[in-house]
Amino acid sequence: MSAPSDTGSSARLSRRQALGILAAAGAYAISSSAQANRLSYDLKATEVASRTWMVEGRSEYFSLENGGNIVNIAFIEVPDGVVVIDTGPSKRYGEALLALIQRTIPGKPILRVYNTHHHPDHFLGNQAFSAQAIAAPQTVIDNISAEGEAFTDNMYRLIGDWMRGTAPLLPQTVLSKDTEDVGGRRFSHFFLAGHSSSDLVIRDDETGVLFAGDLAFLDRAATTPHADIAQWQQTLALLAGTDREMILPGHGLPDRSGASIEQTADYLDWLDGVLREAASEGLTMNEAMRIEIPARFNSLAVVDTEFQRSVVHLYLQLEDELMPLIEMK
Amino acid sequence: MFQLKLIRSLRALLALLLLAASTLGTAATLPPDPLKSVMWENMASRFFPGEVVIDQRVIVMAPVDAEDQMQVPVTVDATALEDVVEIVAVADLNPIPHIMSLRPLQAQPFVGFRVKLEQATPIRAAVRTSDGVWHVNGTYVNAAGGGCTAPAAAHGTNNWYDTLGQTRAISRRETNDLARLLLRMRHPMDTGLADGIPVFYMNEVKIRDEQGVALADVDLFEPISENPTLTLKPKVSSDSSELSVYARDTEGHEFEFNVPVPAVTAN
Repeated sequence: MSAPSDTGSSARLSRRQALGILAAAGAYAISSSAQANRLSYDLKATEVASRTWMVEGRSEYFSLENGGNIVNIAFIEVPDGVVVIDTGPSKRYGEALLALIQRTIPGKPILRVYNTHHHPDHFLGNQAFSAQAIAAPQTVIDNISAEGEAFTDNMYRLIGDWMRGTAPLLPQTVLSKDTEDVGGRRFSHFFLAGHSSSDLVIRDDETGVLFAGDLAFLDRAATTPHADIAQWQQTLALLAGTDREMILPGHGLPDRSGASIEQTADYLDWLDGVLREAASEGLTMNEAMRIEIPARFNSLAVVDTEFQRSVVHLYLQLEDELMPLIEMK
Repeated sequence: MFQLKLIRSLRALLALLLLAASTLGTAATLPPDPLKSVMWENMASRFFPGEVVIDQRVIVMAPVDAEDQMQVPVTVDATALEDVVEIVAVADLNPIPHIMSLRPLQAQPFVGFRVKLEQATPIRAAVRTSDGVWHVNGTYVNAAGGGCTAPAAAHGTNNWYDTLGQTRAISRRETNDLARLLLRMRHPMDTGLADGIPVFYMNEVKIRDEQGVALADVDLFEPISENPTLTLKPKVSSDSSELSVYARDTEGHEFEFNVPVPAVTAN
């Protein structure tokens, strides 16, 4: 039940720490205010339901320009405090998020912070919050524990100094019950999978807002680094039938109609079909990456990039499935 | 004493001549590198010495960003060139740059493979035609670190040796007389650069037809990804029903198997 209080306390200086020190030294040497201003997330909260705010991420891939601000974060005012859904891609983001929450809802304590899954844009802002308040299913915690360090290293490479000081912080509260009361508000937990091996969906039972994490994308191509497409499709079918007033996807605008579920299911169906066909014909990954994407997916942001990434994510397992074993002589 | 001096000055003269020759040679034949790599001259002298032309007909497909630096897909298509004798693929900034060489004896000059990258690097294909000229092209792949010096995933399991050489394959006809062959063989492809794991890789793959005619010879090197995957386009006759594959690793394990080729379908 209890998770270790720090994330792999190795005495040796990791590559990331060394980079952090170098970056800090470099920034100190330059010490220009222009530089400091440039690395500001400038987060804004939009009230999307009663006392429920979304902090909208851009429909882009991680870059030095966006600092990894590509994810939707949400926070909710409950009678006795505040509940936060996901924490963003970096320590700096987490701190900006905390400041934004305190400006929007002054004087209320943060009672609960959920991590929907273990992808870096959803939990690397954890350091701004109390580890005890951060909650996730055990498998999400295990996944962060196993892959958090590698994700963090990779994020340093992708977004550089935005990451200064960022390290994985493990949630200290394990979620296992289907509902919990937080500060006078009941939340339902759905323990699902498909986008990753553990995806938490949270519903605020008062407002009916369903926080879908990365199981649903709206007008942005789905990402697949740890996807099990068949399982994901089952999960989407289940989500489609779940009582709600609104879906807040991990990427994309609030969705009242369920379009995020339909779009994601449609895209995954096409992706799985087209890659199965390519792999069974013996196309190389590079040839598969050049397959034309149907026009109906043109509205999905970054679909070209995500399709190419998905080829790498999904092709090996499809080859294993589709290529027959050959007997040795 | 005098003789020693003479030998010394002769040596110096020889060295000067060699230097001059190599400088002249390089200046005469090596065009500037379109990818502006610091390793360009080094790569040329080691892997494609002699006359070099940059040739856009050599298509090198690789992603701009390596999503998984242990499995970076590369496809080289030189089918627009006639009389190709050899294709050599290199990654300039890998600790071991040479990825693979293909001699398409009776095959199209086309190869797909996956490579481990240690860092962002140019990936090049040098295609030698029968007149001895190297036709070179390449692309730059951005990558995180650690591909060549990380242990193979196989070493996380305790029975990897039991499935060594286990093979999956597909072949189909692109046309009546041209096959597409896709092979994946289980092998850790150890580079020798990961702590405590000696070098151990599949280094030789030969494709033959039913009569034993050599269709393609491939030399693989350490940077090829774990469980090497190869896509080749051997020429086949309309009545051939299988391709024969012989593979060997650096410890002398030999693997031999046949891959069925589908019959020609009447149009």
